[in-house]
Amino acid sequence: MKNIKNYLLLSILPLALISCSKNDSTPVANNITLHFNNTFKTTTIVLGDAASSTATVNTSANGQVHHFSELKYVISNIRLIKADGNEIPYNINDLDKGATVVNQSKPQTLDYVLSNIPAGEYKQIKFGLGVKQELNTLDQTKFPKFYAEAGANDTEMHWEWGTGYRFTKLEGFYDTDNKEMSIHTGSTIEGEEGAYTQGVDAYREIILDFPAHPIVGRNAPKITINADFDKLLSGKTNTITLGSGNATPSVHTAANMVLFVDNLGGNGSNDTSGMFSISNVENN
Amino acid sequence: MAALLIYRLIEMKKAIAILPIFLLLISCSKEDIIEPAPEENPEISLTIPTGFPSLNSSVNGNKPTKFGVELGEKLFHEKMFSANNTVSCASCHQQSNAFSDKNIQAIGIHDRVGLRNTPPIQNMAFMNFYNWDGNILQLEKQPLVPIITHEEMNSSILEVIDKISTVHEYKDLFKKAFGDESITSERIYRSIAQYEYTLISANSKYDRVKRNEGEIFTESEARGYQVFKQKCASCHSTELFTDQSFRNVGFPINPSIEEAGRARITGIPADYMSFRVPSLRNVEYTAPYGSFGQFPTLKAVLDYFDNGVLYADNLDPFLKENGNRIPLTEQEKQDAISFIKTLSDHTFVGKE
Repeated sequence: MKNIKNYLLLSILPLALISCSKNDSTPVANNITLHFNNTFKTTTIVLGDAASSTATVNTSANGQVHHFSELKYVISNIRLIKADGNEIPYNINDLDKGATVVNQSKPQTLDYVLSNIPAGEYKQIKFGLGVKQELNTLDQTKFPKFYAEAGANDTEMHWEWGTGYRFTKLEGFYDTDNKEMSIHTGSTIEGEEGAYTQGVDAYREIILDFPAHPIVGRNAPKITINADFDKLLSGKTNTITLGSGNATPSVHTAANMVLFVDNLGGNGSNDTSGMFSISNVENN
Repeated sequence: MAALLIYRLIEMKKAIAILPIFLLLISCSKEDIIEPAPEENPEISLTIPTGFPSLNSSVNGNKPTKFGVELGEKLFHEKMFSANNTVSCASCHQQSNAFSDKNIQAIGIHDRVGLRNTPPIQNMAFMNFYNWDGNILQLEKQPLVPIITHEEMNSSILEVIDKISTVHEYKDLFKKAFGDESITSERIYRSIAQYEYTLISANSKYDRVKRNEGEIFTESEARGYQVFKQKCASCHSTELFTDQSFRNVGFPINPSIEEAGRARITGIPADYMSFRVPSLRNVEYTAPYGSFGQFPTLKAVLDYFDNGVLYADNLDPFLKENGNRIPLTEQEKQDAISFIKTLSDHTFVGKE
């Protein structure tokens, strides 16, 4: 009897060793870093004031030159889709842990690390440009960290009168005489989803397929998401000329806002990528 | 809240169950065992004046109570709401001006100038839209806006909670109003709304004439009432003297890029530079007039309508059909103003 016990123990030992080594080589979870590369077409944007000689200048489809002095947007509601179709939500109901302000003037905000992502192969990412309606209430008690991050004096992503967050904030200059342009977007919607009573929904759901599948495990993949701000004026939905005609150069209200929202974040129906695309997936 | 009540009930049941044992074993006094009954906090029933529309449905979810209103009134006058403790709600919403002020545009912390003219606060319980553009549909959602707005109080709700938590009187009032001392954002918003729901104005001369309480219009007021019915009442309708619609009446335009009128919220071109039709109750006390105080007097408003307003594609049909104006003789203007002043509620503004 004692012998049998010993044999059993002996036979378990290698199994234990194997499973141990397996655990060492493939962790159950790891990080994914989302790197946001803000561009005009393929050129990474350099910000600059009106007289800047270094700022990246873009020319719109309608021949209008423009450049930015400020570029910010909110990313939240991130979901990763595994190769088998399983959806892994990333703190989608917690703005403190699952939302960020991408700010071109702060390099550290261009990398957003998603921690503790379950190991496996992923084929797609979904995220929101802006904040979904049920969380978009400037609730400092619930999400003090994101509230502070978004409301900081050098960030200004609170849209006080709309009691929500600004989703994008673009400041800059257009035409050869560098007239000011200022595009702010955010939701003014009231009521529950499916039964909105008034207002404009500026939140946009972005869906992007990975050109190569990131594999989380031993690797902590880095995914580069391009945000091509050429689309602001020359989008898939609208071709905009600033100044007169179909758009004022300053959008701080819901009036005319959707033109820009649809270009940046897609129109919510046949365009679910807007200005975004995946330009690189690094698995090491 | 419900959980707390259930807990209380269980506790009370327990207390009642063990009561005889205690009475048997030690002749302890009743007061030691039975929890003191929660202090009375009766509901304040809102009297709906004759002919007024029904209550905003939010009122049912936040019925004013004795201490809720008392707390709300105190908070309404609380300067700690602003970053440097200088501005309260009442700084702009002054009772003597029907809870508005005399400034062209609201003036907040550090004398910063706001986008618009301070709207009066009256008969809020019956309104479906708040503010000039109707961005707020429930009064409970409004108090946060001035607290955080740069030009108003420039603070934050946690900052406010921190500051008022140091005042012993508030702990007592929150307990009386809501059952325990905890000071939360929700309770702040709800108590202020409760207070505002009780600000009902329906005791003007006009009301007393209508109710046959022995007063009658003067000749000028009576003529003015006819002018009003003919030339004003299509927008300033109902006993609130507003149909609560949003209209572009061709007033001079606020040049700020923040302004789009109702379209600021809806994004609909037809709403561009449309504003909520203001109630004419107590309008005698709320000069200057217009969304950013374009007109110093009622006479100036009527002169403007008479002379012709700015044309716009979405100009109100009533004006479009009349050559972009409301023609009024000098006599009609005088009489209309006499009538409008019968809508002044002296008790409401604390002048009686």
